[in-house]
Amino acid sequence: MTELQASLLMLSNGGLMSYFFKGVAFTIIIAIIAIVIGFVFGSVLALVRNYCVSGPQRILKWLAVAYIEVFRNTPLMLWIFICLVSFPVPSIPVAWAEAIALSTTEVQLLFKSIVALVLFTSSVMAEIIRGGLNSVDKGQFEAGYSQGFTFVQVLLYIVLPQTIRAIVPTMLSQIITTIKDTSYIANIAYIEFLGRVFRMIQLAPMYTGQPTQNVSDVFVLCGLACAIYFTINFAISLLVRSLQKRQKTVRVAYAAE
Amino acid sequence: MIRLIDVHKSFGNQEVLKGINLHVKEGEKLVIIGPSGSGKSTLIRLMNYLEEPTSGQVYVHTHLMSHNRRAFINKIHSAMVFQQFNLYPHLTVMDNLTLGPRKLKKVPKREAEEIAMHYLKRVKLEHKANVYPTTLSGGQQQRIAIARALTMQNRVLLFDEPTSALDPEMVQEVLDVMIGLSKEKNFTMVVVTHEMGFAREVADRVIFLDGGVILEEGTPEHFFKNPQNERCKAFLGKIIR
Ligand SMILES: Nc1ncnc2c1ncn2[C@@H]1O[C@H](COP(=O)(O)OP(=O)(O)OP(=O)(O)O)[C@@H](O)[C@H]1O
Ligand SMILES: [Mg+2]
Repeated sequence: MTELQASLLMLSNGGLMSYFFKGVAFTIIIAIIAIVIGFVFGSVLALVRNYCVSGPQRILKWLAVAYIEVFRNTPLMLWIFICLVSFPVPSIPVAWAEAIALSTTEVQLLFKSIVALVLFTSSVMAEIIRGGLNSVDKGQFEAGYSQGFTFVQVLLYIVLPQTIRAIVPTMLSQIITTIKDTSYIANIAYIEFLGRVFRMIQLAPMYTGQPTQNVSDVFVLCGLACAIYFTINFAISLLVRSLQKRQKTVRVAYAAE
Repeated sequence: MIRLIDVHKSFGNQEVLKGINLHVKEGEKLVIIGPSGSGKSTLIRLMNYLEEPTSGQVYVHTHLMSHNRRAFINKIHSAMVFQQFNLYPHLTVMDNLTLGPRKLKKVPKREAEEIAMHYLKRVKLEHKANVYPTTLSGGQQQRIAIARALTMQNRVLLFDEPTSALDPEMVQEVLDVMIGLSKEKNFTMVVVTHEMGFAREVADRVIFLDGGVILEEGTPEHFFKNPQNERCKAFLGKIIR
């Protein structure tokens, strides 16, 4: 049996593959939750940094500025290390973890990973959103105020819809980046799938029956990881692009009337 | 309808308005003229509190303007047309016109669209209801902006140089709409403009602003026949060819 064939054998090992695909599921869960919370929190940060500019509200602004600048200008790896090693997590009742078919350690790791990613991602997203807010002409606020809209209504009906349109492409690349950023966790823990791939490569001889690890193990397992990242991210780009296109065609159709 | 009492406005340490007293009567058509940087925009924007005075009071109808009451007062009393149109680019023309009435006055969609259509016809753009504003010419956009102001169905219309950003051939179509509006007694109109023909035809009163004070005021006839103030004379001499 060649080395490559031995490596490929791992792909037909049911236990190994379920270990791997559970990692894929973890990656997706971590990424989705981090992106959603990061976006919501980032929006709040962006609004506070942009619009809490007078009176005592300024304290909030400076807090937002400090937060954004600290996390945007320090490496994600650092925060993943700090969070995974030392972020305090309340101990989770075993029953809760079992209810979602996980061990308590897994739940804690998930939680810490998400916290680390949110810290960083929210700061980057805040700046993207702020760029979008600033790209909206200030005449839009004035038009809204002159009609009798309040600040919040102007944001809601007039400025945020334009902001969102403006940031879609940048936000998309940040979402893809965040999905890839989950892989930093691989340095510290075996929870998401790249970490699990590293683990599988370490333990490869147990499954290939070879005396040592082989280059082909790396080739096969990393190839698989590559394919998975690519599939997820490329699918997202295609989806967003088709949504954008649909919106555009609607507009063009209107314009042609 | 609008009353400014000893209004001062500074930006930083530059005092732009230095004690303005002005009463715009209900139904009056007031034109504000003056050189660039004299504070015309600042003055008209005080009337709907897009600028807040450094000192002095602004009354609209019977309400004393304040930061917190601005939304409420503007909603029921005034509407503004801007030099740069400021249409909402993410909304169709129809949605531009119905957003205010629907969200602010809780007008049902159907009814809001009927009202919008009525005003679109008035500015002769009913066939553009479903396009996005960016596909329109400047003159068309400004007419839509006027229609948007009208759909709020308020009495006070504020215009800040509505034709200054337009190509010359589009100025008249916008002025025609405004002249039409000026014939209605219901509307109180305040217009900042350099269009002296328009002022002459429409204004009940013209005020000349320079250096942050009202230097001269009177009927258009007074202005164009025998203005008293030297700076006013010089200004008119420059812009009336
Ligand atoms: N937001 C602001 N911050 C600082 N200075 C301002 C601001 N708005 C206006 N100014 C200043 O106030 C003065 C008057 O401005 P304003 O826009 O009212 O003049 P204007 O008469 O409308 O001129 P124009 O004919 O050019 O429109 C100008 O010197 C301008 O630079
Ligand atoms: Mg001006």
